[in-house]
Amino acid sequence: MKRPEPFEIFQPASIQEARELHIHHGPGGYFLAGGTDLAIAIKEKGLVPRYVVDLKRIGSLSGIRENADGSLVLGALATMREVEISRVISRRFPFLSQSAGEVGSIQIRNRATIGGNIANATPSADVVPALLVLEAQVTTSTQNGEKQVPLESFFLGPGKTVMERGDILTEIIIPPASANLRGEYIKFSPREMMDLAYVGVAVALLTDGDENVCREVRIALGAVSPVPMRARKAEAVLVNRVINEESAERAGEAAASECTPISDVRASAAYRRHMVRVNTKRAILNAVCGRPGNLPWVARRERRY
Amino acid sequence: MEKLSFVGKSITRVDAEEKVTGSAIYGYDLVLPDMLYGKVLFSTRPHAIIKRIDTEKARRLPGVHAVVTGKDAPWTHGETIKDMPFLAQGKVRFVGEPVAAVAAVDEDTAQAAVALIEVEYEDCPAYFSPEEACNPGAVLIHEDYDSYRKSDIIVPGPLPNILEHFKLRTGNVEAGFRESDLVLEQRYVVPAIGHAALEPHSAHAQVDPESGKVTVWVANDAPFRVLHETAEALGLPKEKIRFINPYQGGGFGSKGAMKVETIAIALAYQTNGRPVRVKFNRAETFVSTITRHEAIVYIKSGVKRDGTLVARQVRIYWGAGAYAEKSPTVCIKGSHPSPGPYRIPHVQVDGYAVYTNKPLAGAFRGYGVPQTAWACEQHMDELAQRLGMDALDFRLKNVFVDGDLSYWGERLQSVGLKETLLKATEAIGWGKKTGQSNPPKGIRIGKGFACIAKPTRTPTTSTAAVKIDSRGDVMILAGTVEIGQGCTTILSQIAAEELQVPIDKVRMHSLDTDLIPFDASTTSSRSTYHMGNAVKRAAVKARDQITEMAASLFDTSKENLELSNGKVRVKDRREPALSFGEVICQKLGSDGVVAGDGAYTFEMGKDVDPQTGHSEHASAFYMYATQAAEVAVDEETGRVRLIRMVAAHDVGKAINPLNCVAQIEGGLAMGIGAALHEELVIDDHGRVKNPSFLDYHLVTSLDLPKMETIIVECPDPNGPYGAKGLGEPGLAPTPAAIGNAVANALGTRIYELPLSPERVYWAIQTSKKNPSPSVSAEPVVSNPTSFR
Repeated sequence: MKRPEPFEIFQPASIQEARELHIHHGPGGYFLAGGTDLAIAIKEKGLVPRYVVDLKRIGSLSGIRENADGSLVLGALATMREVEISRVISRRFPFLSQSAGEVGSIQIRNRATIGGNIANATPSADVVPALLVLEAQVTTSTQNGEKQVPLESFFLGPGKTVMERGDILTEIIIPPASANLRGEYIKFSPREMMDLAYVGVAVALLTDGDENVCREVRIALGAVSPVPMRARKAEAVLVNRVINEESAERAGEAAASECTPISDVRASAAYRRHMVRVNTKRAILNAVCGRPGNLPWVARRERRY
Repeated sequence: MEKLSFVGKSITRVDAEEKVTGSAIYGYDLVLPDMLYGKVLFSTRPHAIIKRIDTEKARRLPGVHAVVTGKDAPWTHGETIKDMPFLAQGKVRFVGEPVAAVAAVDEDTAQAAVALIEVEYEDCPAYFSPEEACNPGAVLIHEDYDSYRKSDIIVPGPLPNILEHFKLRTGNVEAGFRESDLVLEQRYVVPAIGHAALEPHSAHAQVDPESGKVTVWVANDAPFRVLHETAEALGLPKEKIRFINPYQGGGFGSKGAMKVETIAIALAYQTNGRPVRVKFNRAETFVSTITRHEAIVYIKSGVKRDGTLVARQVRIYWGAGAYAEKSPTVCIKGSHPSPGPYRIPHVQVDGYAVYTNKPLAGAFRGYGVPQTAWACEQHMDELAQRLGMDALDFRLKNVFVDGDLSYWGERLQSVGLKETLLKATEAIGWGKKTGQSNPPKGIRIGKGFACIAKPTRTPTTSTAAVKIDSRGDVMILAGTVEIGQGCTTILSQIAAEELQVPIDKVRMHSLDTDLIPFDASTTSSRSTYHMGNAVKRAAVKARDQITEMAASLFDTSKENLELSNGKVRVKDRREPALSFGEVICQKLGSDGVVAGDGAYTFEMGKDVDPQTGHSEHASAFYMYATQAAEVAVDEETGRVRLIRMVAAHDVGKAINPLNCVAQIEGGLAMGIGAALHEELVIDDHGRVKNPSFLDYHLVTSLDLPKMETIIVECPDPNGPYGAKGLGEPGLAPTPAAIGNAVANALGTRIYELPLSPERVYWAIQTSKKNPSPSVSAEPVVSNPTSFR
């Protein structure tokens, strides 16, 4: 581990001030949220910032709130742990709480922020597939004022987003959703915790009647393409069809065909594709069966089988 | 036996408080006055000639005090083959080999200087598989092998790059196979894994410019052996070298012999008396210290229809990596018991330790036994299956029992193996459908078990002293290293037992080779037995002096005295007891001290002959164990989940039962990691692809199943209170037990570790296409005699 080169650190009180600092000091600056990525980049990956703008004093970036129309606003500095244990999120979208709870350890989740995780654009980020199936929007503060982009078009590649230098991700908006929406997130990794997803699958769907006819469905995949992706072919397989083992399996096959995984030290591309197939199927079936509240870890483990 | 007051009790670890509060000082924590900081330039080539090293720019960097290369450190070392330079000399043999080092005022300056060193290489052909490296015609990784200084145990091999060839010959295996009704041969593969001790490697060294004395501060597991190796390498008398041992944050075998010590010493010779610290980070520790041997094991067995083992032939290729390190002895100690703890009339073992261009392999908890157990114990299950026999019955028919003559020529005694087999299989419900009788769809449940016998290095010596001062405080001087295993507690319990003093009156002195009497090493599960005996003898001698003095004070004979709670009194007399301190004060004055010394060597012990593999007393004691697993395998993903593990270990006598449970559970966690996740992945260029905990997967607490430990006490006649050892066997049968359970669940067997989800997944797919009883990359099944 390298001792960082000295750099200046600023602690602005407003977004405006943060952006101005960045413009004023020019290149070589980094925004700091939880620091769980930035600190490692500095200490272990040779990143040498000229200066760092710490966003943690900006109150408006924190908190999770529910609007009257039913939309949810997650401040960019909401920690993973806050998302995991938030009452409103675990009541309305338990699979989103769970996806946040899959990140690292509790210590990491106490520091890591949801905005930082999204801005960092890691293909395997756990919360992103869950947010994609909720059709979340991302608000950024830019030179030309506030912008809103669908999360799906936010990512350009590993570590790359539509944000330009000096832009700040300020909040994540989850639009109003039906109270009957059901969902699931499965993180597939060899270990039970402290692991990166080999494959992440999120599903959100609405069904009609007792027949489990699928009216609306969204499926998203993590860690199997350069950016987290919606699996639209898989979705198309299910719409207006009864959800059962057979249709879920076919949706899984479609998802496996449309993802573009790589082979690396963790797993081969072929295996990842199979795991997309299996876990997409399971996520669909789990979503239909519903999930009893915010499950503790051990119960969550059981759910995987 | 008399009633014991301290031995056999689960006394709280005496070092618990300082470790829990963080006040304990480990090797990595050490700060010395005026010290400089060392950093290393590592080889980027797996096998190359060094054409040129230019250190000029590094030397000129402000803050740099010394830059060293192989030229400045013209020394070589090695446990039994002196093949390893302190820093590369003329050639590099693996990616990660230390080539040059810098000492500077701080780490960043040293690192910056390292980046300024230029090296020009000329590549040579490199080998990453031990089987390929010893193909006839392979290029030699060590051209000068023949001229290296070697110990007597070294038997050169018949093929290139073999640095040691161990042979065991008993009976005639060919005749045995002819007599057999079934002959089965299989190939098993175990990859290299990392020790992953919590504390990475570090060393501090100082060379006194006046006297030339070399002092090294390092958490080494064998300070006296590394002192001896250092003296040999540097050509110095032993009194010119001193090792000081802080606490060790785990080692599992990785912190014996010279690791970072070489670099710290090479630099300390150039810093005009200033001490030098060299710390490895996690990645450097993974790549540039040592690993566990990868092993390719061929086993061929002949059995009678009734399940009697007739013949077994084992051929093992131990991937030694680029230098011999402890490979010769791992090859000997690991190959010798590789046919398993069974009565077999015809046995042939050929163990080959082979140089490759990969990171070094060396000692790892279990010293070769875990690798061969993976092979042998799966092989036993497969034989049983093909014989149509129950795996337990098959083993019970063949396992060692008291009085057996082993295939290496030793009459065995105190064999608790059968009891561990029976207890472990009973606890797991072997043969019964317990637990999840109705698993969810796609989940296959299976059970399996495996047993082992692990010898200890023999003969070895431990010496100790026990000192009592006029306050009645007891100090143990013993060279056993507290590596986290709890030796301080165990040895304190033994001293407290013999002296009958409260445990909090007993302390153990920190380790310094200038002060502490000799001990061979804290390895091979040997300390409780050897050092336990030495401390016991020393305590008895100290006690005798106390009772002698007390007898004169009380005006009685020693036999009439009794000791309890740090006091001595006359039996059946009303006279008040005297504390040990009072006895010493009255007889020797307030500065008086009583000391006893003790030594222990298992004298009739004799290392196995590397030509025949025979010895009448190959090991001071054997550690027997059986572990059993119940697993759930997800057919769709290949993920293996452990439901339950049972571990039954014959410890002889549990000096501290809770500590025994902790040793076993720790071993299980390590064995489970090796079974399911752990592998150092090395690419075609010899680079380790996963030298971090991000991709090198140790198990977490959530990955561990319910663990049941069963302590079997089959006392050893020479062990202290009957104790044997327990440090290593906790992980030895674990992967094989899990492998057998997975095979039981799936009806298909996997021959290569780890049982990662992907490997298991593909094995399931292959077996679906090709529903034969076994799947193997290279199946070598033969049934020369028809089996009716």
